[in-house]
Amino acid sequence: MNQKEKIWGLVILIIVFLGYFIPYAFLSNVTKWYGSFLIWSILAIIVIIANYFLSKNWGDEE
Amino acid sequence: MSTSLVWASISVYVVIAIIIAYLSRSGDQKSMAGYFLGERKLNGFVSALSYSATTYSAFMLVGLAGLTYNGGVGAFGFEIIYFMGVSLVAIFGPRFWLVGKKYGYVTPSEMLGDRYQSKWVAIVTAISSCLFLIPYSAVQLTGIGYLLAGVTDGAIPFTTGVVIATVLAIVFSYIAGIRSVAWTDSLQSLLMITTSTIVVIVIILHLGGIGGFFDAIEARDPQALAVPGNGFFNFWTFLGLTIPWFFFSISNPQVSQRLFMPASLKSMRHMLLGFLVFGFIYTIVSVVWGFSASVLFPDLENADLATPTLLSSDVVPPVLGVIVMVGIMAAAISTIDSILLTLSSLFSRDVYRNMTDKADDSKQLMVGKLVIPVIAVLTFLFAKLELDLIAVLSVAASSGLIVVVPAIIGSFFWKKGTAAGAISSVVLSSLLVIWVEATDGLLFGLKSGIWGLLSSSLLFIAVSLVTKAPKQKAEEFTQYVRQNMRSSRS
Repeated sequence: MNQKEKIWGLVILIIVFLGYFIPYAFLSNVTKWYGSFLIWSILAIIVIIANYFLSKNWGDEE
Repeated sequence: MSTSLVWASISVYVVIAIIIAYLSRSGDQKSMAGYFLGERKLNGFVSALSYSATTYSAFMLVGLAGLTYNGGVGAFGFEIIYFMGVSLVAIFGPRFWLVGKKYGYVTPSEMLGDRYQSKWVAIVTAISSCLFLIPYSAVQLTGIGYLLAGVTDGAIPFTTGVVIATVLAIVFSYIAGIRSVAWTDSLQSLLMITTSTIVVIVIILHLGGIGGFFDAIEARDPQALAVPGNGFFNFWTFLGLTIPWFFFSISNPQVSQRLFMPASLKSMRHMLLGFLVFGFIYTIVSVVWGFSASVLFPDLENADLATPTLLSSDVVPPVLGVIVMVGIMAAAISTIDSILLTLSSLFSRDVYRNMTDKADDSKQLMVGKLVIPVIAVLTFLFAKLELDLIAVLSVAASSGLIVVVPAIIGSFFWKKGTAAGAISSVVLSSLLVIWVEATDGLLFGLKSGIWGLLSSSLLFIAVSLVTKAPKQKAEEFTQYVRQNMRSSRS
């Protein structure tokens, strides 16, 4: 894996971990839209951004 | 829902889809790579829509809405973890693509067989995919049968729905192989994302806007907005469900084969990012449907009725409801036809070719085409039989396919991996998964997918360490990937 893959791969791994950890550890009692629903939405958007950067220099060579 | 309106919409859909399938006929249809991979020339836009349609079966709008109905926001988290797993495409996509072009791979099993230098690796992984994916497709078919029967109060019988879906899946696969599948998939995705989003807007307005929507959920059951909430999504269930789905993008051959198809890495990028945007919207749509049904119809007997009930209710205008209903049917078909093509290519390329001496490309293609209707009929028969074992295998599909993941990761990142390691991990772990599913779905409190991943990883590593790796191939393969990854994306 190249440097960029290692960095963004790690970012995604951390996001996945948080996707399990935050809702179950901290948000069990937050029964509002700004609880688990919001955190999972935010994490999903960060993942889209990470993929944007990961694939940024993919060329159009066939 | 009026039966004539349903028939009219199905007819319009069939006519448009067949026209599009015919228009897609271009280029080489006479080689394996032409028919099953579109000559590796798919553009990013079609790839993205088709990838989405193949991934998101009817499960999404019926099953995920149902899960939300039963278990609340945990269903959203489950789907988001899966969605995060698609990032594996960002790591494995370019690698599959590079070696696919260099060595001419048509299927993921073929890649594994060549990389580990053993035709048995290809045969075993191909057969294990068929074992889990045929029942999985059968369940999609029964889904269509129940959906059509459900919304028309039985006016369209279960069998009629299943027959329509089977025939359409065969037709869409046959007309131009992956090209007709990809283009009809694209039609279906565009139709679904537009209409299902409109349904969400209609429902949310009905419930008094976004604030009113969340207030209504909270008023009915505040626990629905947290995990474990009502207990449905306790942590271990959540983990057991999400682990197999996290690896879906590389474990399921009907989607990993897509990594061979884009015309360039830039097209693959469009496929990946397009899918992520699509998937995010679609996930929210399905979850909102499930929540809305739980607010509007809190007493349904079966959570899978959440979507049909919502669509045939007064809240959704009838024409819109029917269009979305036909769209769900198309979603199931677009999953089945992709699986049909992938399985027939696995059979002809990895089983037939490796079992006979003189199977050149055109013979393989002929066998592949002959096998398409055979697999479709098998799927149809499974759907009709409704055997317990089929239910077990289809539930086990996502867990069962996970067993190939260590061998796939190993092919790119571990030179010591061996054919014996790959074969033993796939065979023994598949059996373990089936056994766990056939007993009570849990072993020491853990779901089959977790066991599948643990056991296949351990077996792959342990058996590889005591057997001899194909050194030269491993070196050449990984070296090629490394060099090209550097030059394509410095």
